[in-house]
Amino acid sequence: MSSGFSLRRQIVSVGALTMAAARDAGGIAVLAFDVARSLLPPTLDGRELVRNLYKMGYRSVPIVVMTALFVGALMVIQFAAFVKQYGATGMIGWGTGYAVLREVGPLLIGLMFSGRVGANNAAELGTMTVTDQIDGLLALAIDPVRYLIVPRVLAMMITLVVMTMIGDAVAILGVMLASSAILDVHPLTVWYGFVDNLGVGDFLHGLAKALTFGAAIALSSCYYGLTVRGGAVGVGRAVNSAVVSAAVSICFLDFLMTYLTA
Amino acid sequence: MTIGRRTLIRIGARTLAAGTAALDLISVAIQTIVGSLWSYWRGKRPKGAIARQMYFVGNRSLLFVLVTLGFVGMVMVYQTCLLTTKIIDGRNQVGAQWARLLVLDVGPSLTAMMLATRVGAGIAAEVGSMKVTEQLDALRMSGVTPVRYLIVPRFLACIVMSVALSMFGMAASWGAGGLTGYYSFQINPRIFFDLSLVQPSHVAVGIMKAVAFGAAIPIVSGFCGLRAQGSSEGVGAAATAAVIGSSFAVLILDVLISFVAMVALGAGM
Amino acid sequence: MTAIMTATASAAAIAPSTFAIELAGVAKRFGPRSVLADVTLRVARGARLGVIGPAAGGKTVLLKLIAGLIRPDAGEIRVAGRIGMLFQNCALFDFLSVADNVAFPLVQEGDVPAAEIAGRVAARLRAVGLAGSERKVPSELSGGMKKRVGLARATVARPDVVLYDEPTAGLDPVTTSKVYQLLRDDHDATGGTAVVVSSDVEAVATFADTIAYVDRGAVRWVGPAASLLDADDPVVRGFARGTA
Repeated sequence: MSSGFSLRRQIVSVGALTMAAARDAGGIAVLAFDVARSLLPPTLDGRELVRNLYKMGYRSVPIVVMTALFVGALMVIQFAAFVKQYGATGMIGWGTGYAVLREVGPLLIGLMFSGRVGANNAAELGTMTVTDQIDGLLALAIDPVRYLIVPRVLAMMITLVVMTMIGDAVAILGVMLASSAILDVHPLTVWYGFVDNLGVGDFLHGLAKALTFGAAIALSSCYYGLTVRGGAVGVGRAVNSAVVSAAVSICFLDFLMTYLTA
Repeated sequence: MTIGRRTLIRIGARTLAAGTAALDLISVAIQTIVGSLWSYWRGKRPKGAIARQMYFVGNRSLLFVLVTLGFVGMVMVYQTCLLTTKIIDGRNQVGAQWARLLVLDVGPSLTAMMLATRVGAGIAAEVGSMKVTEQLDALRMSGVTPVRYLIVPRFLACIVMSVALSMFGMAASWGAGGLTGYYSFQINPRIFFDLSLVQPSHVAVGIMKAVAFGAAIPIVSGFCGLRAQGSSEGVGAAATAAVIGSSFAVLILDVLISFVAMVALGAGM
Repeated sequence: MTAIMTATASAAAIAPSTFAIELAGVAKRFGPRSVLADVTLRVARGARLGVIGPAAGGKTVLLKLIAGLIRPDAGEIRVAGRIGMLFQNCALFDFLSVADNVAFPLVQEGDVPAAEIAGRVAARLRAVGLAGSERKVPSELSGGMKKRVGLARATVARPDVVLYDEPTAGLDPVTTSKVYQLLRDDHDATGGTAVVVSSDVEAVATFADTIAYVDRGAVRWVGPAASLLDADDPVVRGFARGTA
């Protein structure tokens, strides 16, 4: 434990951080390549895929619904002053809808998903690594990537897209409820504002983001789960790293995709 | 047993478990807050524990917060500019509005979400692995309360760091947004970097949020760590629960404080 | 099933005030599972009790109840004096050095001067054969060394009762006998009370003067260690000899 500030120590730690980041980025890229390679030809353990879809999807619905409702309410509160100032009650549906579909929906649901499913996945794979189950698969000449990782990556991508759709819908509902409760705006006014001004393009923009976020979360959590060292403490650290790198990736990809598809 | 009866029993058991857990959480929260405000200063303080925790929480999250909030700033400004140019050209307002939104909400809450993932999982994993290796029991044998010894320093450190990191994050977000505004939409930086819409009451709300979030994360994460069971699966499960629980706590507190602020400040917002 | 037994070296009538540990009608349940049911036990001062029995019979829970780490659902537990405990996995604080680990109980007491703490820590480490390892961190220690640090920490505050949870689990035979030699030396010097939970029947019989056999949540048999192999209970006899 460092007991004082030392410039040399700071530089060393920055260097170490960069090295670690580079190593992890490379590792994740390699894993991505392995996953892609296993997809052509597409031989896939269907049972594992279904099992993961259930585990990640079904159990995430309550969290997504709760998050979306709160986010909807939050956006109404934030926009309340703006709306009152300009009297633009018709804009609520449009403004919040735009934000939710394109940005806030995929971003926040992605972060929540990363926190729940990504962390869970990293912990599960981490425990499997620590208890030598991965080695056990290799000893049976089963490719862990094809058997374990590919179904999880696909399941997470599919699930996040579905969750984002559900989340978008619930968030709009939340906006309608909150508008009527806080601003005395009729929910239908909100709905028309939403429907009249936003199109399928905005919707798909958000879903495309969700797809990439899903891939990022999946690859990050699988990589850190598989490279765990050190027992219980190592698993905790893997979860930590997985969630942090997923969050950074999500924000970066959000920016990239916004720029590219605007 | 009929399906109906079985479901009812299951719902009952789950509600009971949830209720007990909620009470435990409140108990941990109270112990932490009381512990830090009262006995901590009077009793034995582990030397430098708060400073050490501030280093873990703050210094090592700084880059993470700057990067994430920077990107979000760029995206938000970009999207808003796209939107405003569709009706009237409100580009000149974007910088000022973004500053207001950052201070009131996005700055503290997004920073807190990032802290929830980074620090929350870390605290839960640390406390959790201490629980499963019986170190918490060993602490109790020496008369030490785990909550006071482990969670209180992290609690105090997180509150300070949440406020500090939020400020850095907001600066990064605003700055990055300004860059995007200039390079993609030719918004004059002098016009973008305009603080006129930010009032002292907004700053107060922002700081209050940062403090509340910084308080909630270690309490929820410590609580999850204290309940870890088993070995590595238990620790992993605790870390996962901590991330989700802290994120949720941040979200709920955000809505609550925003709502109260809106009611209290009324049209002045 | 009740078993009012006293565990001492001699069977003479003992006045209640000489008991260091008393359990009366103690029961413990975890959810729907009953782990201990109606346990009554008395351990006299200075006695050395060994607790043996099959896995998941309730031995560790019993120890933790005595230590005060768990509360019983029914019954009463009384322990006279201070308690020190050696945990199954040593439970050393991985964020502290060896010296700080051993000093921890004294530091927490608050009224022991720093110089005295240092002296007692050094003495304990010398006694367990780890003088010179003060600056090491638990992750750098072997299993046997960790046990010895745990032992030093458990006894540094001069407790009246010391509880040992599987002190020699996972250790080789040579280290095992060394650990029990340390226990014998400690208790010969202090005359304190000891309760040892162990799966190594032979080894614990070299230290304990009385053995209690715990199975399925109750104390099934208590008797002098010397007579363990010829116990009147066939289950206990079989267990002690390692036959089915």
